[in-house]
Amino acid sequence: METTSGSLKPCGQELSPKGAALADDDGSMLKASAAPNKPPPLLASRFAMLTRFHAGYFRISLALSGQALLWRTLSDSSTEPNALRPVARSLPSAAFALLWCLALLTLVALCALYAARCVLRFPAVRAEFRHHVGMNYLFAPWISWLLLLQATPFLRPETPSYHLLWWAFSLPILVLDVKVYGQWFTRGRKFLSMVANPASHMTVIANLVTARAAAKMGWHEGAVAMFAVGAAHYLVLFVTLYQRFLGSDSLPAMLRPVFFLFFAAPSMASLAWCSISMSFDTGCKMLFFLSLFLFASLVSRPTLFKRAMRRFSVAWWAYSFPLTVLALAAAEYAEGVREPAANVLMLALAVLSVIVTLALMVFTAFRTNELLPHDDPFSAATLPTRRTPSS
Amino acid sequence: MEHRAELQLDSPILASGAFLIIGMELGRDVQIRMASQLNEQSSRESLPSLFIQVPSRTIAGFDCVGHDTVITIPAPATPPPVAAVPAYDDAHIPYALSLSMPASPSGFHLSQLRTASSVRRDEAPAVTKPAGREAEASSPRLLKQTRFHSQPILHASKLLNEPPRRADTTRDKRFDPFKTFSGRLERQLSNLRGHPIDLHSPDSNISEETDQVPGTDRYFDALEGPELDTLRSTEVAVLPSDEKWPFLLRFPISAFGMVLGVSSQAILWKALATAPPTAFLHVSLTVAHVLWYVSLALMGLVSCIYLIKVVFYFEAVRREFYHPIRANFFFAPWIACLFLVQGAPIEMTQVHHGVWYLLMAPIFCLELKIYGQWMSGGQRRLSKVANPSNHLSIVGNFVGALLGAKMGLREGPIFFFAVGLAHYIVLFVTLYQRLPTNVTLPKELHPVFFLFVAAPSVASMAWAKINGKFDNGARVAYFIALFLYMSLAVRINFFRGFRFSLAWWAYTFPMTGASIATITYATEVTNLLTRTLSIGLSGIATVTVAGLLVTTMFHVFVLRDLFPNDVSIAITRRKPKFSKILAHFRSSSSDMKDLVLSVSKSPNSDSDSTTETSVTKGKAEP
Repeated sequence: METTSGSLKPCGQELSPKGAALADDDGSMLKASAAPNKPPPLLASRFAMLTRFHAGYFRISLALSGQALLWRTLSDSSTEPNALRPVARSLPSAAFALLWCLALLTLVALCALYAARCVLRFPAVRAEFRHHVGMNYLFAPWISWLLLLQATPFLRPETPSYHLLWWAFSLPILVLDVKVYGQWFTRGRKFLSMVANPASHMTVIANLVTARAAAKMGWHEGAVAMFAVGAAHYLVLFVTLYQRFLGSDSLPAMLRPVFFLFFAAPSMASLAWCSISMSFDTGCKMLFFLSLFLFASLVSRPTLFKRAMRRFSVAWWAYSFPLTVLALAAAEYAEGVREPAANVLMLALAVLSVIVTLALMVFTAFRTNELLPHDDPFSAATLPTRRTPSS
Repeated sequence: MEHRAELQLDSPILASGAFLIIGMELGRDVQIRMASQLNEQSSRESLPSLFIQVPSRTIAGFDCVGHDTVITIPAPATPPPVAAVPAYDDAHIPYALSLSMPASPSGFHLSQLRTASSVRRDEAPAVTKPAGREAEASSPRLLKQTRFHSQPILHASKLLNEPPRRADTTRDKRFDPFKTFSGRLERQLSNLRGHPIDLHSPDSNISEETDQVPGTDRYFDALEGPELDTLRSTEVAVLPSDEKWPFLLRFPISAFGMVLGVSSQAILWKALATAPPTAFLHVSLTVAHVLWYVSLALMGLVSCIYLIKVVFYFEAVRREFYHPIRANFFFAPWIACLFLVQGAPIEMTQVHHGVWYLLMAPIFCLELKIYGQWMSGGQRRLSKVANPSNHLSIVGNFVGALLGAKMGLREGPIFFFAVGLAHYIVLFVTLYQRLPTNVTLPKELHPVFFLFVAAPSVASMAWAKINGKFDNGARVAYFIALFLYMSLAVRINFFRGFRFSLAWWAYTFPMTGASIATITYATEVTNLLTRTLSIGLSGIATVTVAGLLVTTMFHVFVLRDLFPNDVSIAITRRKPKFSKILAHFRSSSSDMKDLVLSVSKSPNSDSDSTTETSVTKGKAEP
């Protein structure tokens, strides 16, 4: 492990070294995917990037797929005349199509890179899987695919291809579920009280997204099953994280934006339950209100994110997806409760999520250098001590 | 003419002080006389029995200028009321020892001394150098702190000029750092008058202490007891503990618990009068109305007093807010207001919705602060501070949801119910776990444990009201509440031996809440068992409140200690090093043996080792 990263260090020297903080550096692959007309970097340096590329980069695809789903939901007009619906309907479908294509391209590129990393740098992937923060982002590609599937304009949920794709994306999630959740309560060093951190919400969100897609597909039982698994583990995780047994050192300061996942999970649960029960009932409302409260709680603590905001990194992309999911839940809430206040809330949250995503895209386009990785974030040298050593 | 010289002492001196005591124990010829800086003149003449005299030569490290000097220390039993010496933190000396010396050379000047009062400098080289070297020889470890010198009286000029005024202003000044305005104002005034207060004088030391609130760890280290309101024996309060503080400083936020208790009783009697299961009792609504007016008056009184405290003693309020237990009581005023609205003799649906929003807004802000602290980790994270009083921060949500649903609101009650439920689950699991990192849970049962019953009972009523009927969710919550009540009631034997405090009133409202929930359940499911249960629980709640009222009256009129000194707001920011010795000096009985034993058993490793080294060194000296 160390020799691998050591031998690759000279190749990586072209990049300005900016410290070896865990999981907050990114690859030039992003450059390639975000601006396809630029020439790809050298092959040798590309292989060097593969070591530094990690699953956290899928935050970008998560954000973009979530945005696509939000735009689709907003432009899906209901039959009820609503003062704000024409506004939403006026979103040009061309813009939505562009967004969807961008999301698809990003996702395909990132998946290709990660596949290359699996093939060529398998020990790195294994180390990532064993890391208490990194392993949660292994769910991220599948979540992005499911979100994109739901946002696809030309694919209806009843078609067999939709079903097939759903199975293709859900099976990996199920496998990862069994592995990760089983570890929580059985395996020695990986007890939940030791490894719990806000990124663990990704596992819960994966289950809930699967449940929502299944409900949309019409398969009620599967949807309830996935929801049950997600909800049960969300309960456990919520309690554990609030207890903060280990204090705030389970997550590096640069990854504080991941705290936004705190309110992404209940929003997603609200959406999933709404799809299962076909209406925005009291349970969905309660989950939505809980996520609103957690959002207010985090937003009123800007000092929590001060350190992470000093330097641009891929962790900043963690802001976008939770805001998008919250806006989605607000949209469902506004549709369920036809009140002007709810519509205003939905609009405000939707605008916020769009602005944040756009800002992040601009930042990424102009500061691509800072997304480049400087170190293998999962090498034995840079990892925090809680990780089990790789073979 | 003998001049009284004042010594600014440091740790080796204190260690020597300990040796003095040992010397006293061993040989009755050693007499210790210590006088406070303010009282030398008067006490010298009027209260000779307070002093114990000791030849200074026997004290290690004292500078002996040749003649026999007498060190005077006041007997610890009854210090004169006017001149209780304020406590210092470890950087400064708590006591001023006054050294009687023969007429000193003119080298000792008052101005010299004022500036050198707390700064360690060799002011009088000829006299102090041998002493300094001696001290250095004896305790090389404390080298940087070993400077001390004999000096004339620090405030002699002030004392001679205006002795009576000094006595008055001293008493006020001790509480100044807790005051919002007066402290600074006095300093400015005295600056204007040309007697600038020494920045390193004892009073500003206290204000240094109170510039920042102590960290959460300090609260846990310094305080003990199920309500964290008793000072540990190794700690020293910033304010003098041997006299009554101003009333406002003694008035805690837990006084709002009284309003909680009485207003929930009003609601109970209203339910007893109007609900179908208990209608056969023919309870008059007048009882509920009387109780309501009483609680309204009480609320007005308590909030006025506390508002005055906020205005005049903001520092004390701030310290209460950062106290792990008292922070939860800041929800109590708003919950009490919610109870008052609920028990009011008017129809709930007639009340304007703005009232509900107005009352829930402070609860919302407080929640953002407190739950956010739980979530973001740090020193106030839940696994560290969880205690049954945290239920007070959760119950507010359910009470608000219940009232909102009664008033006809729809979304707001669901919002607060959701937030309350989520955080209640977290708190419930945490408290049941009794994590080893959690130090605040009392090992034995204390009335605070009754707060466990509050949240589920109010939640069941709120859920029933939100949904319109007492459905399964409400029943589940109600049965949980009932089970917790039973499991506490059968352990009534363990609720013994606790000191009464005003916060006990806050622990009665869960019992009342459970009774009201039982009546609500009995309205839904009416049979003999539920009726018996509702009457029985209401009876228990009423009897408890009546008993508490009697106890409170007893404490007010007979014992006169309903508001004891609130030491939990007066803890020092840093752990004082030799505080144990001083605490015993000031407060212990004249049994010196106890003092010696307690000093030698000091748990503070720092003072332990230094005490022991200086004690052994002292033994070698004479």
